[in-house]
Amino acid sequence: MTTGDSETGPQQQRPQEKRPAPGVSRRGFLLGSGAGVGVGAAASAVLWRPWVTGDPTAESPGRASGSAEAGRPVDSRGRHQAGVDRPQTPQANALFVIADVPKTSSTEVFEMLANLGEGIDSLTDPKGHLTEVLPDDPGDLVITVGIGPQLVSLIDPDLPGAEPLPEFGSDTELEISGGDVLLALYATDVTVLHSAAMHLLDLVPDASVRWVQAGHRGPGEGTVARNPFGYHDGVVVPRTDEELAENVWIQGGPAAGGTVCVLRRMSLDVSAFRALGPGAQDAVFGRHRDDGRPMSGGSPTDEVDLTARTETGDLTIPLRAHARAAHPSFTGSPLMLRRSYGFAEPDTLEEGMVFVCFQNDLEAFVRTQHRMDETDDLMNFVTTTASASFLILPGRTGDQPLGSSLRS
Amino acid sequence: MSWGGTRSAVRTLTAIVGVTALTALSSCSADPDTGDNEGGPQDDSARADATVYVPQDAETINDAVDLVEPGGLIVIGPGTYEESVLIDVEDVTVRGEDRNEVVIDGGGVRPFGISAIADGVSVENLTVTDHTFYGVLVTGLHDENGPAAHGGDGYSTFDPEDFPPVQRFRFDHITAYNNGLYGLYAFNAQQGTITESYASGHADSGIYVGQCQECWIDVSHNVAENNAVGFENANASELAGVRENRFTHNRVGMTFLSNYREAFHPQQANTVHGNLVGENAEPHSPAQAEGAFGVGIGIGAGTLNRFVNNRIENNPSSGVTLSSEEDLAPVGNRIAGNAFSTNGVDIANIAGARAPAADNCNTDAPSTEPDTDDDATLLPEDLFSSCSGTQPAIDPAELPQVEVPSGVSFRQIDPPPAQPTMQDEPAARELGEIAVTDDVAEVPGSDYLAERSRHGVP
Ligand code: HEM
Repeated sequence: MTTGDSETGPQQQRPQEKRPAPGVSRRGFLLGSGAGVGVGAAASAVLWRPWVTGDPTAESPGRASGSAEAGRPVDSRGRHQAGVDRPQTPQANALFVIADVPKTSSTEVFEMLANLGEGIDSLTDPKGHLTEVLPDDPGDLVITVGIGPQLVSLIDPDLPGAEPLPEFGSDTELEISGGDVLLALYATDVTVLHSAAMHLLDLVPDASVRWVQAGHRGPGEGTVARNPFGYHDGVVVPRTDEELAENVWIQGGPAAGGTVCVLRRMSLDVSAFRALGPGAQDAVFGRHRDDGRPMSGGSPTDEVDLTARTETGDLTIPLRAHARAAHPSFTGSPLMLRRSYGFAEPDTLEEGMVFVCFQNDLEAFVRTQHRMDETDDLMNFVTTTASASFLILPGRTGDQPLGSSLRS
Repeated sequence: MSWGGTRSAVRTLTAIVGVTALTALSSCSADPDTGDNEGGPQDDSARADATVYVPQDAETINDAVDLVEPGGLIVIGPGTYEESVLIDVEDVTVRGEDRNEVVIDGGGVRPFGISAIADGVSVENLTVTDHTFYGVLVTGLHDENGPAAHGGDGYSTFDPEDFPPVQRFRFDHITAYNNGLYGLYAFNAQQGTITESYASGHADSGIYVGQCQECWIDVSHNVAENNAVGFENANASELAGVRENRFTHNRVGMTFLSNYREAFHPQQANTVHGNLVGENAEPHSPAQAEGAFGVGIGIGAGTLNRFVNNRIENNPSSGVTLSSEEDLAPVGNRIAGNAFSTNGVDIANIAGARAPAADNCNTDAPSTEPDTDDDATLLPEDLFSSCSGTQPAIDPAELPQVEVPSGVSFRQIDPPPAQPTMQDEPAARELGEIAVTDDVAEVPGSDYLAERSRHGVP
């Protein structure tokens, strides 16, 4: 008897209806390790290296280029809001303002967004900005606007970003979560951020500020800069237009061109981390501190090889390394775009990071954070104190009010 | 030089259409050595017989693959072959004259021994050793550089639609030892057999079957020992059977895994019967990547499998472990009629809260009654108080603890004892579809296949 059409083979006794969710994936094949063990790495050629093949600082049309361009105006108009993939090198300073607004209808939300859009124009238009707020020109000031799950749901509960973040295992110390409006302001000149934020808040009279956090980035090219632990951060992220389309931008529907942002304020125990000593520190990340190259070998911009092993069978990227825990392949997720900012509070000496990521599917973050809570040694040094998610509205072209594509 | 051998390195797919008879003849007549007629006839009519002898007709196995016709036979004489062989000709049989004397040796530098990427390939009666990646592979996944020429990076993966599974294969009487990751390795393949083979000294698994649905692959009468894992199934569903094997003296005997990293999760619907799964706490083996040790059968989000009439004994952590993988749960597995003894615990459930175990059952016979196998010890004790719905779990720290010895280099594992060689073999194989029956093998004895094991009778 042969299989396939057999009704009586042992496999047929399984209860077909119990095939568990999620359904069978069409996710692609993975060969396993192309490199094999020990000395094999040299024998492997790589078929696709989507995120790091390109020079991270290479110019792509329509975007401000590398840090040499710091201070130059960033176009606020386009299919996408500024502050996600442009400028290509994030500005050195950020101010995140999260406010609550007592809106009860989508009309009120659209009205607020239109006002904010006009306010952004009045602050960032290099040819005609409000000199009473910013006496000199706005430089590379960028303001990105997002709305929280409650406001998104008022418009349409099926939109991306309508679903709130679940509670994570690492949320035990959370002081603040959620929020209705995100104003994320970025500039090389730190002194413009506060006045710009206050001006925008004035345009939303019923807003009450929920939390505010300033952040700073060290020098770097493209998305890569050292984080408060001293490690290169922002290495493996989507960069090309195709990668951004696949992983970051919402592709269809009224929110097309937008993205979902997660903001986590994380307090970092830098002294405990430092006490680990150099080798153990590298093992926490799976990369070397000096130049960021993976512990599995290669150059600073190379990806980690998660299957690489020593001859004795031990993984070269440790089992509980952050690069392994956060790697999207384990959760079947798209690759998030990370643009985080560090902070150090002068009064309390607290050090930390505002973790900022963008993805077209909130689940990419959710599944990754769950996995990190279970398997990531980095989480031993992290206390999350605030957490929120937002739908970053699509960009504006021409005279469209901000958020207008969501009207339907 | 790193590819070794005196002639061609790894053959590329430029030769995939096969070699025309003209090419074969001209390359043959250009080589005076082929006048030697010891192994087989050399004239044109013999060519039609489609048997190529190594080294008489072709100096290397790759040269023989260049010469052989579809449906033909390559017979390899005793010797050590330093080449990675790519078989891209359909329905070819590659046979060693003596299983223990025909050795493809990777010298610790070449990535693989044999890769079959054409339908209907048989590989039999030879030994593969000391490759950095694997011994013998069959797969439908390959690019112009052959199957192993990429690092699966996990961001972009191959679209299964673009790479239909390779059809019909036979791995028989193969000895694979001390290859970096896998001994006998099949993925994106259907309708095959892996039989009467032996695998030891692999840092991933001795025998690996992965990434296929309706695979209909029969894995039977093999011995795998001194590996990190004896037999591993990842995302391979509807195998024809994993039966009557001896998977002892590994770090983990067998695993049935679902994961997002590869195509076709969840894994489901294998029938696993009549296997000896014991003593899986072997220090003389490479480390298991996740540090596992002392486990008979690991069901890592495997689903709807049946484990029937196996002997599962002397695994100091657990005989069978149910666990989850991210949000993928172990669901609907039926454990029936197995002979458990002297395991740390016979069956344990450590699935996480995000993906709790459900609908699994342990019975003396294939029935739906809960926990009628009185002899099996369970953690938690009420694991199978019901065979439907969500089932209680313990924290992994509550498992019987065993000290995990550090791994031994895959190149330092002792070679296996000589294995039985095939006798009086016919011409080239013609492979058909795999037969599947309802029959379930008896529970084997503790000394099952001991004559082929380095560990002998317990
Ligand atoms: C304060 C906490 C964190 C620190 C200090 C940190 C640091 C790093 C570093 C140094 C890398 C390696 C270099 C790179 O690829 O950028 C990395 C990679 C990564 N991190 Fe984090 N991270 C933190 C939190 C998170 C969180 C909360 C997530 C998401 C839930 C996340 C997701 C990722 C991802 C997806 C990668 C890339 C992995 C890969 O594909 O190689 N990280 N992170």
